[in-house]
Amino acid sequence: MTLSALDPGAVQLPPEAVQLRQEVRDFLDTERAAGTVLGRPDSWLTGWDPAFTRRLARRGWVGMALPPEYGGGGRSNLERYVVIEELLAAGAPVSAHWVADRQAGPSILRHGTEAQRSHFLPRIAAGACFFSIGMSEQESGSDLASVRTRAERTASGWRLTGTKMWTGGAHVNDHAIVLARTDDSEDRHAGLSQFIVDLRDPHVRVEPIRLLSGEHTFNYCHLEGVELTDEALLGRPGDGWRQVTGELALERSGPERFLSTLPLLSALVGQLQRTGGCSPEQQARVGRLTARLSSIRQLSLGVAAALAAGRPADVQAALVKDLGTRFEGELVNEVREILPIAARFDATRGSYPELLATAILHAPGYTLRGGTNEILRGIITRGLELSR
Amino acid sequence: MSIESRAESAAEPRSEHAAEALPPLDTAPTALVALAREAGYRGTPAPLAETLLVARPLLAAAGLAVPDGQLTVAAGPLDVRFTHVDTDSRVGPSGAAGTDDALRVSGTLHRVPWARAVEAAVVLTEGPGGGPVLFLLEATEWRQLAGTNLAGEPRDDLVLLDVAVPAERVRRVPAALVREAAWRSGLARAALIAGAARRCVELTVDHTAARVQFGRPLSHFQAVKQEEAKLVEEAALVAAAVEAAASALSEPDSAEFTAWLAAAQAAASVAEITRIAHQLHGAIGFTELSPLRLATTRMWSWRDEDGGERAWQQRIGRHVLDGGSGGLWQQVTGG
Repeated sequence: MTLSALDPGAVQLPPEAVQLRQEVRDFLDTERAAGTVLGRPDSWLTGWDPAFTRRLARRGWVGMALPPEYGGGGRSNLERYVVIEELLAAGAPVSAHWVADRQAGPSILRHGTEAQRSHFLPRIAAGACFFSIGMSEQESGSDLASVRTRAERTASGWRLTGTKMWTGGAHVNDHAIVLARTDDSEDRHAGLSQFIVDLRDPHVRVEPIRLLSGEHTFNYCHLEGVELTDEALLGRPGDGWRQVTGELALERSGPERFLSTLPLLSALVGQLQRTGGCSPEQQARVGRLTARLSSIRQLSLGVAAALAAGRPADVQAALVKDLGTRFEGELVNEVREILPIAARFDATRGSYPELLATAILHAPGYTLRGGTNEILRGIITRGLELSR
Repeated sequence: MSIESRAESAAEPRSEHAAEALPPLDTAPTALVALAREAGYRGTPAPLAETLLVARPLLAAAGLAVPDGQLTVAAGPLDVRFTHVDTDSRVGPSGAAGTDDALRVSGTLHRVPWARAVEAAVVLTEGPGGGPVLFLLEATEWRQLAGTNLAGEPRDDLVLLDVAVPAERVRRVPAALVREAAWRSGLARAALIAGAARRCVELTVDHTAARVQFGRPLSHFQAVKQEEAKLVEEAALVAAAVEAAASALSEPDSAEFTAWLAAAQAAASVAEITRIAHQLHGAIGFTELSPLRLATTRMWSWRDEDGGERAWQQRIGRHVLDGGSGGLWQQVTGG
């Protein structure tokens, strides 16, 4: 029996990544001094700051793994990894370009037409074009094969009808990549296709879904007969399922799956230092979280290296997502116990009680977004069966 | 059946050629860690991890020749005197200096791994003039009181009755080497735990695939899948931490901290890994009929033999808290 998931192997970051990490830290220090990086939890979900994104883009840190001929940085995926983990650890506001950088860009590069590539990729890399992902629906969460949004053939292209749910940023982004049914074949996985939809189209109606914190990040995205030309089709008709599952390893194993709440832990460490005199219990709990964080990061780096080498990594990605997102929630609870201060959402923004409140109110989402963990565990055990 | 005879039945007979099978001294550290993981996976009845990852590197660091064969390591307070006391010395109390480093040693070293099976032991203790000393004891120089850990692996007490250790087998060492002995031990056992964890996963996956209840294999039950996935994840986590520490072994700056992380994570994960493996094995797993115990009882012993996860976690936490709010992330990324 082979258990490759158990043997990710250590990843040595290339020397240029060390240099790059320092450049990002210097940049973040400057931004922090200017008050634009606030060390917030979940900044990749709610930290919307297009101006910050454009400053990053000017440094070449958006779309940095895209090829130079499309305006990208032509850097390696591991170099990109270093940049995004630094941004997340600092709680920097990166949600504007997050999906464009992580999914839409690589997906368009891989499946898009030449026209789509040369239109979208340079804009993404410039921090001037932001994307949402339209996969989930009311009745389709982890079971994407059940999507009901339909794309019907018209004389000039396609007409899109249906309602997407949990469409992050649809109210502020420029485009969405929408998964829709193009064919009612027996096989539920066949007959799905992906489309690039302009969110400013008059037939797109966005309706907010507020989080427990009252924040507006997610939406219903009603597609009310959106007329698309053939140029809007991403990849081949009927290939949507394969394309989407290909993206999921990218979506599930990145640093955002274990670093969402790290800024809270950093804030705690800062707080403990200022008060001085930590108990052995507090030290041990901080140490426990550090060891777990570091181990999960090693696994996540292993997936990044596998993907960069073109090896399939869906099982390992599911594993990182389950471990990492459980850790994100566990961290919040541990931090509460290490330094018991009542969480207050109405406390001064950026203060410890407010950060704690944000992390608590966001916590139920960590193990849901990107595929519910209970479902992902099925991917892991299926991987085990196949490897026997 | 006594604990010891159970250990014998679990253990394969010791190979006459074990010494020849040891890898050469210049073997890459990552390969040595891989061997230790393999030993943990197989439950190899020999102090392979102790020899390769602790005793040999300590001897080399102290500038002592490395003897052939299996070695073990022991640390603890002993009654140590100079054999040749420098009576002319005006430094310190009488007997605090010797004309050379030859020592006479008495006392008991407790729960030394595999002492009965080794050629020699590396001992770290407080020297007669203050400051740590490291010396090599040969197997003929101690009396052995047999003991075992939860898995029946030898953990013997070594009784030293005024043993004369010649100066060429003694080195005064810096305090850093005492720390190195501790983190190397932790890493060695983390590697063993990573191997045994893998064994737990394999045995469990085989069992849940083969065992049929209510007309279908256990692995087809959703509740079983959930637990099995968590078992795989926790084992993967330990493997990742150990691999990271293995590759840091050749980097003096980060070796110690990453070894702490591996030791802490391995020890902390044992509870979850063994809990799930036993639960999914059902009643058969907690009897002598199942090979699972060869992995789980060892893991329960190994996690505590260097102080347990709390001790490692505290070391890590102190270090992180000394580094400030940016310190945690810097430590995790190695600077």
